[in-house]
Amino acid sequence: MKALCWAGVNELAVQEVPDPAILNRQDVVVRVVASSTCGSDLHLLDGYVPTMMAGDVIGHEFLGEVVEVGPDVRERRVGERVVVCSIIGCGRCRNCRAEMWSLCDNSNPDPGFLETLNGHATAGIFGYSHAMGGFAGSHAEYIRVPYGDVNAFPVPEGVADANAVFASDAVPTGWMGADIAGIRPGDVVAVWGCGGVGQMAIRAAYLMGAERVIAIDRFPERLTMAAERVGAETLDYEKVDVLDALKEATGGRGPDVCIEAVGMEGHGTGAQYAYDRIKQATRLQTDRGLPLRQAIHACRKGGTVSVLGVYLGFVDKFPMGAVMNKGLTLRSGQQHGQRYIPMILDRMSRGEIDASHLLTHPMSLDDGPRGYELFKNKEDGCVRAVFTP
Amino acid sequence: MVAKRSIAVAALAAAGVVAVRRARAHSGLRPGPAEWFAVTVACDPAELSAANRPDALAELAEHHEVRITPAPGGRGTELAVRSADGSVRERVRAIKQLLETGEVLRVEGQPEGHRTVLGRAALPVTRQLMRRGVR
Ligand SMILES: NC(=O)c1ccc[n+]([C@@H]2O[C@H](COP(=O)([O-])OP(=O)(O)OC[C@H]3O[C@@H](n4cnc5c(N)ncnc54)[C@H](O)[C@@H]3O)[C@@H](O)[C@H]2O)c1
Ligand SMILES: [Zn+2]
Ligand SMILES: [Zn+2]
Repeated sequence: MKALCWAGVNELAVQEVPDPAILNRQDVVVRVVASSTCGSDLHLLDGYVPTMMAGDVIGHEFLGEVVEVGPDVRERRVGERVVVCSIIGCGRCRNCRAEMWSLCDNSNPDPGFLETLNGHATAGIFGYSHAMGGFAGSHAEYIRVPYGDVNAFPVPEGVADANAVFASDAVPTGWMGADIAGIRPGDVVAVWGCGGVGQMAIRAAYLMGAERVIAIDRFPERLTMAAERVGAETLDYEKVDVLDALKEATGGRGPDVCIEAVGMEGHGTGAQYAYDRIKQATRLQTDRGLPLRQAIHACRKGGTVSVLGVYLGFVDKFPMGAVMNKGLTLRSGQQHGQRYIPMILDRMSRGEIDASHLLTHPMSLDDGPRGYELFKNKEDGCVRAVFTP
Repeated sequence: MVAKRSIAVAALAAAGVVAVRRARAHSGLRPGPAEWFAVTVACDPAELSAANRPDALAELAEHHEVRITPAPGGRGTELAVRSADGSVRERVRAIKQLLETGEVLRVEGQPEGHRTVLGRAALPVTRQLMRRGVR
């Protein structure tokens, strides 16, 4: 079959690869119908995730049709249209049972690297390096899904592919960012990053009762989308001083909740940004942290900072003093998608959540490398390129 | 050029584990190699007791000191094995997986694109390093 493979730093290639097979009795095989680019892939492309190998199939946010089920699969049926959570859970370890699915003990067969780096390993993730289990990704004609009963979710009939595909990753991640921050009615929420994840965090924040949501980015078309599609007030961080603007907008208090949806390649202006870039390029720090520092600085006393952006290693100049002296709560995590996906699909079928506008570039899988170029450089208004094999 | 870069990345992957470990050693978090390797299994201690334990555990116990203790707060059972090398750690994790999910998850045999010559040679070693970790 055809698949989009990582071939080296900033090099992708469509290659002919073997078809997947059932490797475990609880596996299902899915024929991929739509598979999206995600901001997390940029960390792979740019070479900040050190356990990639040339020939790895990438892609993790996808929807398709079940074409084969293993002998121990009980719920899933051949022919079902399913959306699959980007992060793999086993459904039975203590963390999965507690609905902290991305902390699954069993779905990452190769936890050694992360245990050494972080103390403990994260769950397996499709197409996301050998540290995350070395699972083949979804930018392909077919994909094998472990523990099919708990990771693949049937999509209600009325929900279009272009909407449901984002129930795999962007929507549950955004929802989780708002959920773990404990948003309460009347809250003012600030969201850094207006990609798919940030926009869905904005929508979730409103659904949880936030009174105002202020979105921060620099790309005009993304800011416009955040305003028109999910109702945020917007700030262009290249035009205003974000910290001043947020104080002014909140009567000096600062936002009650700050959601960081940018990640370790945060862009910025000024000396701090130059410092971060040099240190990251020379591997003296692994992750650039400007928006994260800003979120902590901006947050009101006693507020919550919710970090959705992916970090893998170490961030320099982490403002622990602000966390401590302002009594902040810091929440974070890879998404616990399985906890939210059924509810999200339900809301999608009732019209309460619509993510289909994120799909700015429907493309053939053959154009995968071009799709990533558009997405990475945010060219042509690209918010998410979605491939069909 | 392409090949060179991917080789460099593969080497980085392997070196990464070691480098991180060295950094940790410098920070003084751990004085020497750990004596016990422990996991918590979401099961009743009785399932790991001599009479009922899975074969894989019985085999481990033939050559290694094994400790079974109920975990606090109803969290199942702590299974610890003494002087566990990489292969023992892999087997302990497999026992936990088998007891909790009924299978040991496999990743070998998945679709993959063109590996470089070096990448192809390095993959099994890298994977084993990732699976077992260094301690
Ligand atoms: N926690 C999870 O499970 C999970 C899941 C999916 C994605 N993510 C992460 O979420 C982040 C966003 O993902 P995405 O798909 O929306 O990516 P994206 O690349 O589409 O969007 C990121 C946005 O951040 C903006 N940005 C950069 N620097 C900024 C700054 N200083 N201030 C404000 N905005 C800034 C960019 O302009 C861009 O619009 C990534 O780090 C991704 O890895 C996490
Ligand atoms: Zn993602
Ligand atoms: Zn689990």
